[in-house]
Amino acid sequence: MRKYFDTRRRLTLSWIALAVLSIITVSAGELELRLLAGAIVLIAGFCKAWIIIDQFMELRQVKLRWRLLMLGWPLVMALCIGIGMINRLPTD
Amino acid sequence: MRHNSTTQPLPGDLAMWFFILAELAVFGLMIMGFAVAEALQADSFRKSRDLLDTSTGLTLTLSLLTSGFLAALAVDRARHQQQKISAALLASAMVSAWVYVYIKLTEYNHLAEQGLDIEYDRFFTLYWIVSVFHFLHVLLGIVILAFMAVRCWYHSYSSDRLHNLESGVLYWHMVDLVWVMLFPLIYVLN
Repeated sequence: MRKYFDTRRRLTLSWIALAVLSIITVSAGELELRLLAGAIVLIAGFCKAWIIIDQFMELRQVKLRWRLLMLGWPLVMALCIGIGMINRLPTD
Repeated sequence: MRHNSTTQPLPGDLAMWFFILAELAVFGLMIMGFAVAEALQADSFRKSRDLLDTSTGLTLTLSLLTSGFLAALAVDRARHQQQKISAALLASAMVSAWVYVYIKLTEYNHLAEQGLDIEYDRFFTLYWIVSVFHFLHVLLGIVILAFMAVRCWYHSYSSDRLHNLESGVLYWHMVDLVWVMLFPLIYVLN
């Protein structure tokens, strides 16, 4: 019974963290410091992905290679978006 | 859910995990294409992104995350043989997903009325391709949630068949996972 309530509490805390990180993402997007704002947005995005993978998809305690494989996706995406952001060329 | 330090087996079917990896690869290529195109046409992308409403994007995000949370709770209840409650949670997850669908369709309609269609510029070409592709996944996810809710209601997920429920919910979390990376790219990073 205790395990059941622990699970429900853990999932609820994860959901609250995801909501807070989403609000941080939007708030950071309005900062004047563009590079800092971009970094905050991408780190928040990766943290949200991490929570979904570890808590909702339940990869916290599976074999490390599966966890790394799944965590690698948001990491690569965040890096690609970040590199693209740094290299934005003012053309128009 | 387990809190010990031993390695646990993958939830769901192995085939679903390969399917998820394939889907993530496709979405990954789209996101990289978006990022490269933006690097080449930064000003144009910035002006076009300003035409999207960030608060709409936030509402879409919260509705999908809430739906994923309810689906995760449903799996937990099913593991405790509370399948009627699990069915109710899956139905609630569907309602939250329908909020996403309604808001997204309203946004599509609004953009189309303003002439911001797929041919407007490169940002909107990529916006329509990526977001509609994701939207189709949401619709498929709702069908899967409905199917699983009905099966839960009739107690079809015995303890040896729970992996079917886990696989369906994993697909739904994959849709969530993709969205949390699409959201900043499409709506926020200006």
